[in-house]
Amino acid sequence: MKPLAGIRVLDFGLLTAGANTSAMLGDLGAEVVKIESGAYMDPFRAVGQRDTSPGWWNRSPPFHFTNRNKRGVALNLKHAEGRRLILELAKGCDVVVENFRRGVLERFGLDYAALKAANPRIVLASISSQGDTGPNRLHASYGSTLDATGGMAALTGYADDGLPRISGMDVNYPDQVVSLLAAGLVIAAVMNARRTGRGALLDISQREIASFMIGEEIVAAAADPARRTPSRQGNAQDGVALQRCLRCADGRWLAITLQDEKDEVAWATVIDDVSIDQWAASQDAEAAARVLNDAGIAAAVVKNGMDLIRDRALAGDTLAWLPDGGLVKGMPYRFAGMPLVIERRAPDLGEHTGETLRELLGLDDQALARLAELGVTSAEPERI
Amino acid sequence: MTRPLDGTTILEIDGPNTPLCIRLATSMAAKIAADLGARVLKLEPPGGDEVRAAPPLLPADGSSALFQFLNTSKRAIALPADRRSALDALLGGRIDAALYEEGDSDAAALLAARNIARVEIAGWPESMPRPHAPLSGFTVLALGGLLDMVGDAEREPLRLGGHQGSYPGGLAAFTALMAQLAAKGVPPARVSLVEALLWVNWKAASGAHADGKAPTRDGARSEFQVVPCADGHVALVYGVTQFDAVAALVGDARLNDPRFATRPERRRLIGDIYAVMRPWCATRTRAEIYAAAQGRGIPFGTVVTPFELLGDPQMIDRGFIVDMAGLKMPRLPVLWNGSGFAPSPLLEERAP
Repeated sequence: MKPLAGIRVLDFGLLTAGANTSAMLGDLGAEVVKIESGAYMDPFRAVGQRDTSPGWWNRSPPFHFTNRNKRGVALNLKHAEGRRLILELAKGCDVVVENFRRGVLERFGLDYAALKAANPRIVLASISSQGDTGPNRLHASYGSTLDATGGMAALTGYADDGLPRISGMDVNYPDQVVSLLAAGLVIAAVMNARRTGRGALLDISQREIASFMIGEEIVAAAADPARRTPSRQGNAQDGVALQRCLRCADGRWLAITLQDEKDEVAWATVIDDVSIDQWAASQDAEAAARVLNDAGIAAAVVKNGMDLIRDRALAGDTLAWLPDGGLVKGMPYRFAGMPLVIERRAPDLGEHTGETLRELLGLDDQALARLAELGVTSAEPERI
Repeated sequence: MTRPLDGTTILEIDGPNTPLCIRLATSMAAKIAADLGARVLKLEPPGGDEVRAAPPLLPADGSSALFQFLNTSKRAIALPADRRSALDALLGGRIDAALYEEGDSDAAALLAARNIARVEIAGWPESMPRPHAPLSGFTVLALGGLLDMVGDAEREPLRLGGHQGSYPGGLAAFTALMAQLAAKGVPPARVSLVEALLWVNWKAASGAHADGKAPTRDGARSEFQVVPCADGHVALVYGVTQFDAVAALVGDARLNDPRFATRPERRRLIGDIYAVMRPWCATRTRAEIYAAAQGRGIPFGTVVTPFELLGDPQMIDRGFIVDMAGLKMPRLPVLWNGSGFAPSPLLEERAP
């Protein structure tokens, strides 16, 4: 049985952190209704823009990666009727996920107090850069901002140039880890709401998550004056005898970890009496990794994006290939006998507005026509 | 305050020969559940959890900051030499779910026999041809493609600080654990560190699939770079539509050059752009740069150290770092109806 069967999620999630939290809930069996509008669509539709011909907003690869298995509804929150319908939908939902700029939900009269008044069992997952409170609550960030302000960049860098490093725009690491935790927190809150009849406001700060990912360094820096100014040590690591990348004969990089003396002895046996770099330079990386693994040493070829899409055994369940050759996000875990099924590709803007409002709110053709006339359900982007 | 997982009992079964990188993920998942109110019994192998001796070590008593961070709010039980019998006895109690580790055949067999809801934490994807080869947190980063994304193109790939080969797997295991508790009859789950990393690094796969070419680390050719400023460093991060705002912030006419009008051209000429940005940053402090950028909605980030987080006004206002029996400890990164979950120190218990 799917763990979240019967759970309905109203998804205002944008880009990765929000939209992906809802996608993970959907993969576990929840029904996800993504709300956008022509007045404000998920920016991922534009960030991943591939062309300028009509409908370009439905073709962005990163949008498709993150929004499969969702229905798409267009409702303009700037319109009173749009806001009223959201509150009606909330009555039949268990979860609302949002990562708007702070203040947007309040401005629309859709904050936790309003949602709770409509449905006391509702769980609102509010994901934001700095959290819902505090002097910096309105500050903006992108993922790599938080590499810096969360503390990880100070611990990341080559030993010789003194420069902290960030994960960069093609990773935005702090954005990516948010949903891994947020989805679990939402499930805990939903279980609690079922037991108690009371929902919850989950105020989730992405910056706090970024700092949590180096929690032990905060504990250590607070207790040990010697750790107040961290040194960046490249790939080396405290407590590890040797850890670095080696350039191999085929030009590829090999990552190795010699944990302790035992590993060093095993290593010495493998490489005989040449230097580490000489040995690597005489081997192809995959073959070298196998030799070292056989000797009990942790070693792996540094994989890149092309490896990930070519090597399906490596990708495991983390990517899902569609019948038309399309590629979307898979799952970070697997449940025995419950493979991920992509039942829907990512929705076109407003693709399921009519069917969803009919089914969930009982609207008829006349009511839908009126909404269209008022512009409440418009699915034409107003601005780019 | 009541906690969402009050009344739930979860076992963290630490295997006898588990690689450190897997243990960090197991303990992270169980820690989150424990801080949320679950009664978590951490069953250590005879000889104890190896993380007890793992750096960073605290100067006061030589104990491990890493162990303290990962084992808040739990009860630890060291299993005796006859581990299997002790495990069997413990599993006879009321257990809602268990976390266990690949290679722990005793735990796997006993949990399956009793059909207890469970999450296995492993290293490699099951689909790999050699799923039991030795693994470290660093080689997880290599296999997940994340190593390839950080650093300079000409130099060796660079790991992110901390234990990022393990913690995404830990968060995924926590969410899989919650899914186990959400309904009866949910099939057992398996999390591998490599898959969790691959999943986190999805933009590498998406980019490769869309462009036929993998995005990779491009250091000084990247649009986002870290540069020195008067009192440290700042990460120059901004949206693809914000270049004009950045030019206005810096106020240097050279950035208004028509050569920089389109994004592809800006990427090509990124060195020229940074030649203007660097001197501007060099004469200003982190606080000055951050305030001026935020004033225009530009998300530049100042590089702060873990120590500086302790005095950060936002972190203080939200009570992110709490005092736990004399240690400063980050709480779970969520406020639940306005309140944080204060972690408590690990309780050491005797084996039953």
